[in-house]
Amino acid sequence: MNAPPLDKLVPEHIKRFEPYIPSKPDSELIKLYGCSHLFRLNNNENPLGPPQAAREVIDRFPAARASIYPSGDAYHLRHKLAERFGLDPEQFLVGNGANEVIGFVIKAFCQEGDNIITADKTFAVYEWVAEFSGFEARLVPLVDFGFDDEEMLGHIDEKTKIVFICNPNNPTGSYWDEERLRGFLRNIAGRQIVVVDEAYCEFVEREDYPDGIRLIREYPNLVVFRTFSKMYALAGLRIGYLAGDRDVVDIIRRTCVVYSVNGLAQEAALAALNNQEHINRTREMVREGKKFVAKELDLLGLPFVHDQGNFMMIRLPMSDSLAYRKLMTQGVMVRTMTGFRFPNYIRLTISNMEAMETFVAALTKIVHKGEKA
Amino acid sequence: MNLKNNREVLLSVAADSVFLPLVISFVENGAVGLGLGRAEAMSLTLATEEIFSYLCQIASPDEMVEIRCSGGGYYVRAVFLFSVEDFNMRAFNLTTTVSVDDEASLDEMGLLIASRTVERFQVLKEKGKGVQLTLIKEKKYPASHDETVPQARPLKEFSIQEPNPEEMKLLALLVSSYYQDSITPEFFEYPGKFVDMVESGECRAAMALAPDGHLGGGIIWRWTGLKTVECFGPYLFNQKPDSSIPESLLEHCLGAIAKTHAVGLINRYPTDDLPKEHFEPLGSLTFFNKDGSTASLTAYFRQMQEDPGTAVWSHPELEGFLEGEFSRLVLPREIRLVKDLGETKTHFSVLSTEFDRSQKVVTLRPIRPGLDAGTNLANHLKLLSRESLLSVFFEMDLAEPWHTDFTPALLKHGFTPRLVLPYAGRSDMVIFQLGDVAV
Repeated sequence: MNAPPLDKLVPEHIKRFEPYIPSKPDSELIKLYGCSHLFRLNNNENPLGPPQAAREVIDRFPAARASIYPSGDAYHLRHKLAERFGLDPEQFLVGNGANEVIGFVIKAFCQEGDNIITADKTFAVYEWVAEFSGFEARLVPLVDFGFDDEEMLGHIDEKTKIVFICNPNNPTGSYWDEERLRGFLRNIAGRQIVVVDEAYCEFVEREDYPDGIRLIREYPNLVVFRTFSKMYALAGLRIGYLAGDRDVVDIIRRTCVVYSVNGLAQEAALAALNNQEHINRTREMVREGKKFVAKELDLLGLPFVHDQGNFMMIRLPMSDSLAYRKLMTQGVMVRTMTGFRFPNYIRLTISNMEAMETFVAALTKIVHKGEKA
Repeated sequence: MNLKNNREVLLSVAADSVFLPLVISFVENGAVGLGLGRAEAMSLTLATEEIFSYLCQIASPDEMVEIRCSGGGYYVRAVFLFSVEDFNMRAFNLTTTVSVDDEASLDEMGLLIASRTVERFQVLKEKGKGVQLTLIKEKKYPASHDETVPQARPLKEFSIQEPNPEEMKLLALLVSSYYQDSITPEFFEYPGKFVDMVESGECRAAMALAPDGHLGGGIIWRWTGLKTVECFGPYLFNQKPDSSIPESLLEHCLGAIAKTHAVGLINRYPTDDLPKEHFEPLGSLTFFNKDGSTASLTAYFRQMQEDPGTAVWSHPELEGFLEGEFSRLVLPREIRLVKDLGETKTHFSVLSTEFDRSQKVVTLRPIRPGLDAGTNLANHLKLLSRESLLSVFFEMDLAEPWHTDFTPALLKHGFTPRLVLPYAGRSDMVIFQLGDVAV
């Protein structure tokens, strides 16, 4: 059998694209890097695990239920979200992680020749999905580690369909306050879809941080993304959602893959919502961890960037990819930032004190060794 | 690589000498149409004549050869493609059919003759694919020796921009003026060529530009191999020692390749202005200056992605070098030794030879293993000693266990493993260099 003529079969925009290669499983990494334990401080996961109610759902999930299809459109979860936010269930779409709903929105609104706008140094998936779908991603440089509203408005043309804002921004933690977001939406005047990704909103403790979902009634072109992966610690089950105006969501639903969210994820997410005690405990852990790491970084003389969210970015006096390898040998996995266009930065997930102390000890070792060299 | 203006013409023809005039005419007219001058097109045509005649000798007359001519801005490329089954691979050893002890027969070697009339010549055999024989003939450009170089002054303000053609020429002139030949690639001597290289998409450039148009520095980068990008610079023109220009230029380059499939960025000609905290010293390579003297330059490297770790193959004689390098570079690798347990092996090995005459470099790569690896390598070296090429490299991909069969012969004939390029092939690539002096 001849090999398929891939050169002819594959579209040009896919040829230019490169697959994302996720990390190997922990067990493989531990073996290759020769460490005995691995602190996962690379994906902004919550080490406290899911809220108690969600844990109970997971613990008692009957194996026999695995043979039954889940609700194809997360019926109960959408109703619970509607109740929680005072909207209609039809204003929500649940996806296999928030990454999936990014694809739904781009597919729903973009066609050949269209573009999307986002920042150059933000969560990569908006740019990534747009480009592998064959659409231009216009990247606007951050200013002082934050999204530049005026410059983003200046990049809009008649082919711009969607503007993506990560609020707070991953990986810098900067955010737009309510006044700034409202000003931006007023300027857009409903001409484009504005997606506000609020993956880390539950970590934000600032009074002036806007609740995007509350603004949907006023700005029907606003679509808000949220996830159960970060604060609610259900990353392994892959579940996230979007909310928007009913007519807008009706359009997005046409591109949506039904049955993509498994039943256990739906039930665990349902149980996880509204668990303020879990949120408070996590916030306290993040506050404590950030304070400790910031103090230690000051002692080491390493610059860092942090604001909202359960992560911080640290500037190193060496290549971030080399630091990654050195930290891995000591059982600490961080995220390198070259791929986010922040070369020589690493992003650290704020975790419990044991992990933070291990990280600081490992970092101190590699920085001091570098000095000697 | 994203080459603009890459028009292409194709000819599919049987490997029969009756078609030689057709092939010659196709390549000659194609080359002129694609932008070569008459003299350069004639050189490419002569090489084509040698290649096609040679293919006619080693294939039956009904085997098909596809010839593709394409323009790459500053060069025209002629590629001969044919399936492996139709040809005896051994014939693609540069040394086949001649005796290296017979001076007269050396001059009859078609592949070698072809290689002499072009800037680059390569025989490539990719796994599962046919053989690809490539000739590259470059356009002729005037050198910049008589050009007046404008004064550069320290910039108070600057922005990083990608240059227009006139700015590129200025950048090339300034680089040639401020930096020694030994750390600048030859294309800076030919600003027109540099412009065509950038315009064709083969390389990209960025410069630090003041609001009044003064140029403070620049950086150039291009793909080298499938997964590695090579950068040149940053170059700095009369700036203060604490200038932030080098860092800004490098960050621009890194940002441009951050979301590509590049796994590594290498700098083989580091300047004093290279922000070394972004890199790791990988090893050193010896380059030859125009006057024939040598200079050993440290190659700097950085990975662009998190290293997921991998297993590599090694001959026992290379194990110590690899262990040392993997440990020094903190590369997570499982070294698997290749052992000869008496299994039957093919007799004849095949090496591909790539000439880059403009850089005075020849690179050998294994195409097929064989019991005659040592003899084959020795014959190649003997043949290459007649060419006016100075640097001889050998690339070994550690994903291929049989590549390591060449290790004992390489070491015996004076090659030294100089550096490990992570993931530069299917896996890590070991670059061997022949001695420290010319063959």
